[in-house]
Amino acid sequence: MLTVLFMATCATEEPQKEETPELITKATLTFTPSGGGAQVVVTATDPDGEGVQNITVDGPINLPPNTTFTLAIELLNGLVDVGQPGYDITAEVEEEGQEHQFFFAWTNDVFANPAGNGNLDKGSDPVDYSGASNSKDIGGLNLGITTTWTSAASTLSGTFRVVLKHQPGTKTPVSDATVGETDLDITFTINVQ
Amino acid sequence: MLTRQNCTFLISPSRYSQSRYLPASFSPQPVDRSGGRPRLVKRERVRLSRRMDSCFFRSSDFYVFQFRSKMRFSACLFLWVFFLPSITGAQQPCAFVLTGRVLSNVGAPLMNAEVIMKGQSRGEVTDESGTFTFDKLCPGEYVLEIRYVGYITQVIRVSTSDTKPLLIALEPEIKSLQEVVIEEKVEKVERTSTYSLLDASDLEKSMGKTLGETLRSLPGVTTIQSGPGIFKPVIHGVHSQRVLILNHGLRQEGQQWGAEHAPEIDPFIASNIAVIKDAAAIKYGTDALGGVIIVNPAPLPERSGLGGTLNTIVQSNGRSGTISGMLEGGLKNLPGWGWRVQGTAKRSGDFNAPDYSLTNTGVRELDFSTAAGYHGGKFGVELFFSHFQSELGILRGSAISNLNDLMTAMEQEPPIGTKDFSYTISEPRQEVIHNLLKLNSHWETEKGEWRFQYGYQSNFRKEFDIRRGALSSKPALDLDLRTHTLELEWESSDKANRQFCFGVNGMYQDNRNVPGTQRIPFIPNYTSFSGGPFAVGKFILNQWTLDIGTRYDVRSYSVIGYDYKNTLYTADLLFHNASFSAGISRNVGTHQTVKLHLGSAWRPPHVAELYSLGTHQSAAAIEYGLLLNDSTNEVMDIKDVPFKIEKAFKVVGTYEYDTERLQLDATVYVNSILNYIYLQPRGVTTNVRGTYPYFRYTQTDALFVGMDVAASWTMSTRFSLEPKLSLLSATDVRNNDYLVFIPSNRLEIGLKYKGAKHNFYIEPKVNLVARQNRAPRVITVREFNDAIASGQDPLGGSSKNFDFMEAPPGYLLAGVAVGYSIPSGSGRFDLRFAIENLLNTSYREYTNRLRYYADDIGRNVSLSAKYVF
Repeated sequence: MLTVLFMATCATEEPQKEETPELITKATLTFTPSGGGAQVVVTATDPDGEGVQNITVDGPINLPPNTTFTLAIELLNGLVDVGQPGYDITAEVEEEGQEHQFFFAWTNDVFANPAGNGNLDKGSDPVDYSGASNSKDIGGLNLGITTTWTSAASTLSGTFRVVLKHQPGTKTPVSDATVGETDLDITFTINVQ
Repeated sequence: MLTRQNCTFLISPSRYSQSRYLPASFSPQPVDRSGGRPRLVKRERVRLSRRMDSCFFRSSDFYVFQFRSKMRFSACLFLWVFFLPSITGAQQPCAFVLTGRVLSNVGAPLMNAEVIMKGQSRGEVTDESGTFTFDKLCPGEYVLEIRYVGYITQVIRVSTSDTKPLLIALEPEIKSLQEVVIEEKVEKVERTSTYSLLDASDLEKSMGKTLGETLRSLPGVTTIQSGPGIFKPVIHGVHSQRVLILNHGLRQEGQQWGAEHAPEIDPFIASNIAVIKDAAAIKYGTDALGGVIIVNPAPLPERSGLGGTLNTIVQSNGRSGTISGMLEGGLKNLPGWGWRVQGTAKRSGDFNAPDYSLTNTGVRELDFSTAAGYHGGKFGVELFFSHFQSELGILRGSAISNLNDLMTAMEQEPPIGTKDFSYTISEPRQEVIHNLLKLNSHWETEKGEWRFQYGYQSNFRKEFDIRRGALSSKPALDLDLRTHTLELEWESSDKANRQFCFGVNGMYQDNRNVPGTQRIPFIPNYTSFSGGPFAVGKFILNQWTLDIGTRYDVRSYSVIGYDYKNTLYTADLLFHNASFSAGISRNVGTHQTVKLHLGSAWRPPHVAELYSLGTHQSAAAIEYGLLLNDSTNEVMDIKDVPFKIEKAFKVVGTYEYDTERLQLDATVYVNSILNYIYLQPRGVTTNVRGTYPYFRYTQTDALFVGMDVAASWTMSTRFSLEPKLSLLSATDVRNNDYLVFIPSNRLEIGLKYKGAKHNFYIEPKVNLVARQNRAPRVITVREFNDAIASGQDPLGGSSKNFDFMEAPPGYLLAGVAVGYSIPSGSGRFDLRFAIENLLNTSYREYTNRLRYYADDIGRNVSLSAKYVF
């Protein structure tokens, strides 16, 4: 019996390693002032993917008041080697822009423009999907890899939440954040100072 | 003709032996192995079918008796028979003798016709001149049922005051041999064990339904459901890895670990299905902690000629159509050879709840099987192949990612993504293929019989989730499981009151993830060897019958997979343990039997329970195996984990009462499962997609206590009443908690009206299902989210079980069915019209995993037609 078991052990081949394009281990938010100046960069990392460890979010997002920024979101999968397919998730999201949309939510009126608290709770609330070609999908619907923001005039503090929804076949001009599955949902502290 | 004789009673130990074991019961001759005496071909058929399985729990037992009349000398039968000196009879002048002759419609004597004395534990078979004799009869009236293969069964009433000779002429029945054995009530085999049976007519009632759904009509058997198309059988509260399914005598080996993985079996291949509800099925190996489901085919024909059936079923709910046909025959000039081909095609669109469509719940299925075999006097061989292929949609509204999605999904009705009816099946969906090849043979010797069986099964399961872009067309789970099984056994047949069976079985499995899922595999690849020897003995002493059995099993796993970091790990595991079983049954008077069965079973853990990692189809939960470290997710060595083998001790007591008018079965059971492996909620984890609750496979001690009662009361020649009751309480003893997804108490009451002609019947039925009050605490997703938002532990620091939703309220469903038979040429049409959920009640079943998102299905009108030729 032992021989048999031993043989069984030997016979097991090494299975092929899967690429894991759906895993996002790192999300980077880069705020670039449109008038020039220092970028504000924050990241959320989850090196263990489906593992039990929680995501770590750095920040806070410290924005000078009354300044216009473009926000670019970069999603990476650290389990795939740099340059390999599946490493740059942002590119995939852009490619499949007609199935995706970023939604945003913030508190305490930290932005002068757009006003309000974001479009996560109500899809028709304003968010400025402009700033680069990947602000919209090829059909002209909002995508939001790049968005445009103007910080509030006064010193404020709140939270900033980014949600990426996957809406295959269900994305429409009016589809909101209740539609589709969530690919990304991260929350940062934000300060206007 | 009735004459007087002296007085003793002959009692067979089983209430059921009355009609089927008669030949043996009344044949105290030694086993005839000379073959010198002319026998019907059917005898060989029985032998062949016996081999298909084995020893005492052979599946074929459940149909063998249908042919018992032709196997007067079968050794098996002796075992269930003994003589009992008269107790009650002594006071009565029970000395009448009844003789009669059974003839064909053209006056030829029919040898080996079966004559059953209804309501008595007696029966006889006719001799060469067609003559039968019952002796030692007390004065009074008796009902005789006369059966002969190929002829229509006749029931006559006789009285000890009659004096004229009894001549019974049987009309030939032109249909396939297999059809002849279809009876209103197939009798159970005498056993110390407790089981229920779905016979051909029961199966006819659920034509077009899945195996799990079909089994639901048995007391003590329920299902874990994942929507209207996925049913997993649950016996006495346990399922999946803890229930063995024997398909044509082979352990069905698929990916049974998943609660949404239904058994890959077409119910049309069965001529009957038996469910053993105690842990006694020692000969099939490990895992039968809850019970065994035995799917039995009809025996192959051995005479030339052609027979077959054609079934068509249409159903309003799901707008489904099913067609299933079977053709069988023997070979001219080659007696003993037989063949059969069978196939089923099914298509169903979206089912609907009373108020909305259940989008993406369609089913497509295509199955076929073929069998051929030979059976001579002492030797038989048979080859069987079956192919099962299905594609199943899973409710669109249940496809969720994180907790927020789950909250939205649970709080919306109709479910998200609900569309109008469609036959389209899109993601999330499953594609499953199961192939089964079996070669078996048997060889009869002076003292017993050798049996050999080889089985090969391949199971391919693909699960498609809604994924980013083109990934949706790639399965998220793609498993390829190959299983080889080999069995050899010997069963003695030389002693009437002692029978032994010894054997050994082995299994080799290779389970691989098919590359290309673009996801870290949920379970690793593994190969596994398992097997062991067993011995079973059966002893009969007066009105006592005793069964004892033991086996020892070993299972090894060689595991290779990728962990959360996508780095390779390997492990070699070995599990071994013993199983025992003992049962005793005693007849009390002529109408009552009491049985007690004790069994100890164990099962090796499944690789999924040890190494699972990730989210599983529409679960909105992350699952971690037992061997993953709590905080680092690293795969640990089993030696570093306090793992103990799961063992069950099950005690089942059964009381049976059987008279012509009233049959009653009451079963009480206690199943104590130590080191019970289950998914325990451990907390929440956040990744970039949001927050998820996570569950970890953990061990505890579980206790299942319950009762099943089934009765059939013939109120008059036209009306009968059939109540069935199932009660169950399941608790986590170690944590003083309840377990999730335990079926609630339920009662079914059926009333049947039988017409005088054409098998006409009307069957109204009500099903009462109680609310599950023994459910774990509830933490709604909203509470979960609120707790997380305010920085609290949503589980309140406790790892007690929880559920996201309250158990749904109890419900009552009404239904009615009408049936009718029309003879047509040389064949027959059976028509059945049925309405389920007649009142279109909106309800949710606690054990349906989709109860979080949608109501169960509404009214369903079905029409089925069966043509037999």
